Parts: sequence; structure tokens; C-alpha cells
Amino acid sequence: MAARILSKRGLDIKLRDLGCNLVALQNKNVVRTAASAAQATLSDFEIQHKQPLVKKTTPIPIALYGGRHAVTMLPGGGIGPELMGYVKQVFKYAGAPVDFELVDIDPKSDETNDLEYAITSIKRNGVCLKGNIETRSESTGVQSRNVAIRNELDLYVNVLHCHSYPGVPARQSNIDIIIIRQNTEGEYAMLEHESVDGVVESMKVVTQSNSERVARFAFEYARRNNRKKVTTIHKANIMKLSDGLFLETSRKIAKEYPDIEHNDMIIDNCCMQLVSNPHQFDVMIMTNLYGTIVSNVVCGLVGGAGLLSGKNYGDHYAMFEPGTRNTGTAIAGKNIANPIAMLSASIDMLDHLGHKQHSELISDALRKTICEEKIHTPDLGGTATSTEVVQRVIDHILQADIRAW
Amino acid sequence: MSIISRNVFKVLLRASPNVAARTIHTTAPNATLADLPDSRVNATLIPGDGVGPELVYAVQEVFKAAGVPVDFESYFFSEVNPTLSAPLEKVAASIAKNRVCLKGILATPDYSHTGELQTLNMKLRNELDLYANVVHVKSLPGVRSRHTNVDCVIIREQTEGEYSALEHETVKGVVECLKIVTAQKSQRIAKFAFDYATKNKRKKVTAVHKANIMKLGDGLFLRSCEAMAKLYPKIEFERMIVDNCTMQMVSNPQQFDVMVTPNLYGNIVDNLASGLVGGAGVVAGASYSADCVVFEPGARHTFSEAVGKNVANPTAMLLCSAKLLNHVNLPGYGEMIRNAVNKVLHDGKVRTKDIGGQSNTQEFTYAVIYNLQPLQKPTQ
Amino acid sequence: MAATIIRRLTTPRASNARFYSSEIKKCTIIPGDGIGPEISAAVQKIFSVAQVPIEWESVDVTPVRGPDGKFGIPQAAIDSVNRNKIGLKGPLMTPVGKGHRSLNLALRKEFNLYANVRPCRSLEGYKTLYDHVDVVTIRENTEGEYSGIEHEIVDGVVQSIKLITEDASRRVAEFAFQYTKENKRRKLTAVHKANIMRMSDGLFLRCCREMAEKYPDVKFEEKYLDTVCLNMVQDPTQYDVLVMPNLYGDILSDMCAGLVGGLGLTPSGNIGLSGALFESVHGTAPDIAGQDKANPTALLLSAVMMLRYMGLNDHAVKIENACFETIKEAKYLTGDLGGKAKCSEFTNAICEKIGR
Repeated sequence: MAARILSKRGLDIKLRDLGCNLVALQNKNVVRTAASAAQATLSDFEIQHKQPLVKKTTPIPIALYGGRHAVTMLPGGGIGPELMGYVKQVFKYAGAPVDFELVDIDPKSDETNDLEYAITSIKRNGVCLKGNIETRSESTGVQSRNVAIRNELDLYVNVLHCHSYPGVPARQSNIDIIIIRQNTEGEYAMLEHESVDGVVESMKVVTQSNSERVARFAFEYARRNNRKKVTTIHKANIMKLSDGLFLETSRKIAKEYPDIEHNDMIIDNCCMQLVSNPHQFDVMIMTNLYGTIVSNVVCGLVGGAGLLSGKNYGDHYAMFEPGTRNTGTAIAGKNIANPIAMLSASIDMLDHLGHKQHSELISDALRKTICEEKIHTPDLGGTATSTEVVQRVIDHILQADIRAW
Repeated sequence: MSIISRNVFKVLLRASPNVAARTIHTTAPNATLADLPDSRVNATLIPGDGVGPELVYAVQEVFKAAGVPVDFESYFFSEVNPTLSAPLEKVAASIAKNRVCLKGILATPDYSHTGELQTLNMKLRNELDLYANVVHVKSLPGVRSRHTNVDCVIIREQTEGEYSALEHETVKGVVECLKIVTAQKSQRIAKFAFDYATKNKRKKVTAVHKANIMKLGDGLFLRSCEAMAKLYPKIEFERMIVDNCTMQMVSNPQQFDVMVTPNLYGNIVDNLASGLVGGAGVVAGASYSADCVVFEPGARHTFSEAVGKNVANPTAMLLCSAKLLNHVNLPGYGEMIRNAVNKVLHDGKVRTKDIGGQSNTQEFTYAVIYNLQPLQKPTQ
Repeated sequence: MAATIIRRLTTPRASNARFYSSEIKKCTIIPGDGIGPEISAAVQKIFSVAQVPIEWESVDVTPVRGPDGKFGIPQAAIDSVNRNKIGLKGPLMTPVGKGHRSLNLALRKEFNLYANVRPCRSLEGYKTLYDHVDVVTIRENTEGEYSGIEHEIVDGVVQSIKLITEDASRRVAEFAFQYTKENKRRKLTAVHKANIMRMSDGLFLRCCREMAEKYPDVKFEEKYLDTVCLNMVQDPTQYDVLVMPNLYGDILSDMCAGLVGGLGLTPSGNIGLSGALFESVHGTAPDIAGQDKANPTALLLSAVMMLRYMGLNDHAVKIENACFETIKEAKYLTGDLGGKAKCSEFTNAICEKIGR
């Protein structure tokens, strides 16, 4: 999918070749791993060792019929279902040519049937809009479903565009940072075991191939969006081999993009710099765990968890979700959840599907509501309810002269 | 007549107190749909041959009366009358631009003036890559037919197979006609069928084939369907040989839900199924490409013997137009027209000859207009 | 019963002499698999009661390994049909697995059976949604879509060839016209799709048109395949005899069978250059085989077709009427027609009527 986006712009990229090479690397049995994750027959070690590698997929025709896209919708837990309801409303009034296929995953069950079905559904539709899915099960055999989906679909890169909303109270203004995060391996490989009593080892996996894909994606992204600088975030002074490999790879790729400035920064320093002088950053790439940390820091800077949306890309599929991954169970059903993050994820999705007109229509309406009229939910210090915000957005959509279908 | 009713309906639509109440909560919205100017939708219109122009006129009358915000770009497009026909490129460009088209039936003569093997219909389909033909066959209220409660959807691949127009005479008196089946297109249509079933909450997809004889060609089609079926664990999949399928269709059509077929078999099953529920005049269909949709009657008969006699049944065309409105995000209007048609058929006072009545096309059209009722929630 | 016997004894046998110059004709019978043997026996019994001057020659067509290592029909069976030029066949099971050609196909090829005739008639007493159906489908049986020429050009692209030849088209067209004329049918309809397949179906159509000129007394019309499908399910009475290429015939003949109640009631005949083979086209129904539950109607009506083909019209009418009457009475109906009777009871009922 990432490759598709890049090549859309007519850029001659080597991602495809890269993909092919990677495919050759892959283990033949990986395809069903997430499905069998809960089966006791496979040890965690086995499962996890198969995960980081690229999976072979046969291309499935995309679900676009008569100009309407089919998209998988995974509402997830907590405030997810409410937010999805808002997205549907907004899409209806904006006339967005998208048909959602709703897949609910029961958070309590240990069964993977729902999850399997959700993954199949995304494979068919190619695109997914997703809330955060809860994994209530404490059993070690059950993977985090969010991770399972990302791994199974090989969504190797997560892109978070952090930008300030004028009019939203925040510590910093005019922030415009793109965080690109490796999404399938690193610390989240979840290879943990207790080697002897009281000693737990957790493995961090970094592969050259995945590092290369992420770095290349970042540089292509930077070039396409007229960004000037890419910063690699790492901890190679301590983890010399793993983060060292990641850093080396990104340096190597940087040489192919002489027009883009490349530097690197150690994660602890990076966090400090972010809160003191965030404007020095442009595009940032990092491994999985650092990504979680950095994106949450930046979200805090621009005004909270409810504002930003994240995009996950693989070679074949794309998934859009709120930027910071939390379910918000505490505020579910109270009509105070901030709908902006999910709406802007849906805008990203429309963009990705090529429905520019609709995405602009909705983002204009959103901007007017948030930045000009300052109708904010309590988390931004406002008093409006979620539905009031959504209603205002819909009103703006209706007032806009274009309501193309 | 039409102007009056049009205005009446506009007023009704706007005055409807529930227009604003469609929203998700109780706060009064600042703007309602009715206060805003209708944003208009463009659609290409191809009246076609035979009774097509009469039927299209009926649709336009109904649209006018209902105040439907659709502007038609009309093209005369015909193979039997090549001198008057608009060029293919222009028509195709218009459809590509508007993304929706309402089309009557084009007559396909069994010989060509220029010796071409491709018909105009095929050319248009290939030009726009309208690969999937969807015919929804559903028993209508008040239409007398032998079978009741038929509700099946026939999805037909229509860009390859027997209709490849690759024919040649190898030696005198021996003609070879090539049937082409490709994995790519078979997968595409299979996926279309399953996605359609998923979207419309259907339970079962039946692949119609003749793989017992055409082991490679239809075999490939069948294998593609089987492979795709694995991605849809919640939808039942079954296979049926085409001759058995036709037999089952006439004896027990209720067993079918969604059917996916290669080109020629689709043509046969389409017509067969249309016959079951009342004939060519009452079944709506649509052809999909990735980007555009052409709405046309499900069974393709020009009914040219009835030209100018004002006897053709506009039901199929009106149902097509309702589908078109649904597709372009104007489902309120679509529903309005569909309800009106159903009501007229159900009341049974005004029926055209093909479904056992005495009324003419115009009377039927007026009856539909008379029965247009603004919905409580025009935009839902 | 006694009355029947007495009547039979008193009825003069002399009338027999009228039939086929008292010569007894030999006829091959292939009982087939599954329910085949039972229904064949039923037919033979009925024939003997009706005193049809036919001697059956039963052959087995279980495939044997030929000299070339491939499985095929035993030579004895081939010889028998070639000698008698006429045969009756029950349902055959095509063994699953490689190396076996469909036996039906092999027989068709062996005897050059170029035309398949299937009369579909509504039977009184068995109610379907369609009444008064009386349609005969004549199908070209040797070429067209079922030519078996297929290949994969490149990966994922298969090309199969539909072959239409002038000879075969003319042959079947001529047969159709002759059939229509001999059986005094109203009309012959050529079913085609020449608006799409302009050359191949065009050729078939041309042959039919040419033949129409030779038979000016037969009413001839041309219809598109889709139109026929549409009209057939709405009003089947507007068609009479239909002639068409292979695939269309396959589909339409089964559809027509569906109109009158399924393959269990429709006879079928294959006319060839070197003989004719009449058969029942239903399956072998292994689940009820040997339980005396099968319905012999299709095979019996096929046998009646055979009698007509042989010119034994009086016998044909007699048996046919007895069969129709039995079904109409609905006293002895087999399970597939909604009755409870056994195959033997049904057969006896027919025999009784013939004997009267």
C-alpha cells in the first residue's frame, strides 16, 4: 500500500523490488500465525519469531465499485463505537462514496474468530478505519489484537502527523512534525520468557529489511511533502547492535536522498528537545517503542489525545485510526469524547482513497468548528458535548455549496 | 401537470417538519437541508433503441414531478442508426465524467454494416471497463407471475468469456469462436459478488458454471470463485452447473440468493429470472466498473415492435432511476420513486399490458407521479 | 384381473402382423448403473406385455481397459449397437478419476450422435407451475462450446474454442425440419446469439435459413437465446420445436425439463449417422437403487420415442397413453411425483392398462 501511494506520484521507487526480495525471505508458514496465536500448540516463541518478517500476499482486487469504496470498520472498545457513529453521520451528509463493513470484535472472548474475520475483511477491502480494540484476556497466549492486526497485515509503518490546531489551547503552537514509526517489530515483538525463576527476558527484534522499508518510506514521504529534514531517533549508544542497525540503515538510505537533510538523536535527548524546542523537528523516524513515547509526548504538546490521527501503511493495506491508541473506556457513553481524532482519521482515509473533494469538505468543516468557532469538548477545556461538535461539523458541510456524492 | 406537482412536492419536501429531526441528538441544528439549494448531480442519459426513448421520457417526467436534483446529459447512441449516433468516445467521456448513467437498451443487430464483430454495447462496456452486471430480480407486489417471493441477485462478468468477439473462419464452413477466461477478471467478478453479498447482507453466493465440460475455462472461473470464497467465511458458497441451475430456477427459484456467472450464462440466467417475476419490463439492472455505474433494465430487450404505441412498461426504467438516486447519495428521492412504483403496482388499478393491464405508458407514469409521497426523512 | 386375462385371450393376435412385417427387431439395451437395472426391467416388462416385436440384447458398458491402456467401452457393446443400429440406455455413472472419459460422451462419439431430441410435455396428474407445456428441444450434440479444445495461453488466461461447422449445423437443421414435418408440429424456432457471436452463431443461423427454404411448409422463426429464456418461463406455449447449438441446447433442455417437473419425466433421444440411442437423462440415484422406489417414466417415454423412430407408432401410442393415464389417475405414483407406490406397482398399473 505504501508502495502504491508512493508510485501514485510517479516516483520511481525501489520499494517494489525491495518488497519482492523480502518476500523471498519469508517463512512459508507465517500466513496463519495470528489466527493460531491463541492455540496452545504453537509456543509464543514460535509465533513471535515468525511475526517480524514480511508476509507474502497475493494481490486481491480492490473493493471499488462504481466509484464507491468498501472499507472495513473496526469500532473497537470504549468510545470507539460512538466515534464511528459520528463518522458515519458526517460521511452521510458529506456524501462520501464509502460503504463501511462493520466488524465487531468481542473483547472478552479468547477466541480469535472475530479477529480472524476482521483481518480477512481488511485484506478484502484493503482499507480499514479502526478504533482501539481491547484485549481483556490476561492469558499470555493471547496477543494484543491491535498488534496482531498490524503484524498479520504487515502494516510496517505508522505515520502520525502532529500539528497544532489554532484555537485549541496547547503548550506549544505551530507544531508541525511527522512521526514515522516502525510498527511491526522492535520492542513490540513480544518475545518474553522467564529463563530462570525471577528473571524475565524480553527480546527486541530489529531487522535490516524492515528498517530499510521504514527509512525509505520516510524519505519518500519527506520528498513528496516538501519536507526538509529527517531525524532518526534511537538509543544506539546503549543498544549498539539493534538500534545500531536501525541507525545504520537509515543513514545508508539517506545517502540516496541528498536533497533531504538527515540527522539522528538519542531518544532521551529527543524527549527533552521536544518539550523545549519542538520546532526543530520535521520528519522523525524511530523504532516501535520510541514511537509510542514520542507520539504521546507530541500529542500532549498540541492539546491532548483526542486531536490527532494515525495512518498505518503496509505494502498492500492501509489502516487509519486515532493517533494515540487508547480506548477511553472511562468516558464511554458520556457524550464527552472528542470526535476530532476519529474524524481526522476518516479524512486521512478519504485522502488515501482519492476522494479529495470529500476530504477537503470535511476537513474544512472540522477546521471551522474547532479553530474558528472554538466549539470544544471538555478535554480541550470546552463545554460542548461530542454530538454538538459533530452537529456543527455537519452544519458546515451542509452549508458548503458542494455536496458531491 | 408536471410543473404543478413538482412545485407541490418541493413545498412539501421543505415544509416537512421532520427534516431537521434527522440528526443524531436533540440540539436544533442551525441549517437544514431544505433551506439549502439542491446541489445538482449530473448524469449521462442514453435513451437507446426501441421503446427506450419513451421509457426515458417517463423517467424524466417523474424526476421533474419529484423535483429530483439530477441534470441529464442526453446522447443519442445507437448501432442500428449509425449516422445519428453520438461517437463512442464522447459518450464514454461523459459517463466517465459524471460517473453515473441511465441507459435504455441498445439494439444489437446480428450483422454489422462494417463487418465488425464487436457490438456497440460491447464497445461501450470495454471502453469503460463495465465488468460487472448486477440484476436484482425480485417479485413485485401486484405483478402476477407463477413464482412468488423470488429475490435473487445475478452478477455477471461481461467483458470476456464468449463475448470476446474473437471469431474466425479457419476453413470454409468451419467457424471458431474463442471464449476467453482470465484469472484476473474471474477473481474480480467473484470478489465483486462476495462484496456485494457482504454489503447487502446476503447469505449465499452461487457460482454458476459448466466446469464439468469446459474444465479449463470454466474451471478457472470456478477456482477463482472458490479462492475468493475463503475470504468470506460468513457467506455460504455453492457451485451449480448451468443447466441444472436453469432447471432449479424454473422449479424452485427461492433457493437462490446471489449468483455469480460468466458472461453467457449470466445472460441466460438474467433473462430467465426476469421472466419469472414478470418480464423484461419490471427488472432493473446496473453495470459497474471501478469508477462508474450504468443503470439499465435487467433484461435487454428493445421491444421495438411497440415503438410509438405507448404500451411499454416503464417500471424497470423507473426502478433503475431509483437505484441511480441511491447511488448518488440521494436515497430519499430514490425511496420516494420506488415507493410510488410499488404502490401503483400493488393497487393494480393502473397496469401496462405486459403485466395484464390495459393502461398505457403515460397513464402508468402519471399514476406514479400521483403516488409520489415525500418521505418523513428525506435524507436518511 | 380375470377379465383382463380373458380379454387378452379373446383379443385376436392377428393385428400383430401389421407391425413391421411381423419381423422381430433386435434392440440393444444398456441398463446402466444405480436405479438403471430396475427401470430397464420395468420397461422390458411393459414392452413384453404390449407385445412389441422387439428382442432385447442387453449389454454391459462398464469400462474396460483397451489395448491402448485407456479405459473405454467394451467392444461387444459397440458391436451390438452397430449391428442393431438402435439402443436404449439407462443412467450411467461417470467414474471419478483420471483416465476415464465420460461414458456418455464416449457413446456419443462412438455412434456419431449428432442431434439430441428432448420432448418436454406437461403430464396431467402431476401439477407444476406450468401447464400445457409441449416443447421439443433439438440440440446439436457434437461441436460448439463442448468441442473440448481448451488451452491456457499464458498463466491465468484460458482460451476455449467454440467450433461451429457448416456440415454439422446443416445436418442438425435438416433433422430439425424433418422432425417438425414428420411429427406435424406447428413451428420451428432457431435459438441463437448471433447478435454477439456474429460469425459462429451466424453460420448456424444461416444453415437454418437455407434449410427453411427447402421446407417451405414448416413455419420457421429465429429468436435470441435470452429472449427465449425470458419468454419460456413466462409463457412456454408460444414455442414448439427449438433447434440450437450445443451449449444453449444443454441449458434450455434442462430448463424445459424443469418446467414440466424435472428430468425424471423427460425422455431423450440421440440421433446419429450410424444409429440412434434413446436414454433417460436423470442421474443414477444410488441412494434409492435396489429399493424398488425409482420412477421408470423417463426411460419408458424414451423407449416410446424409440418405437416412433422405428415406425412402430401404434405400439408407441398404446404404451404412451397407458403411461400418461396411470400418472393422471395418480393412484400409483412413485415417491418423486409425491406418491407412495413402488416402481413395480407403477409398472403393473401400466401393464394392466395396456392389457385392457
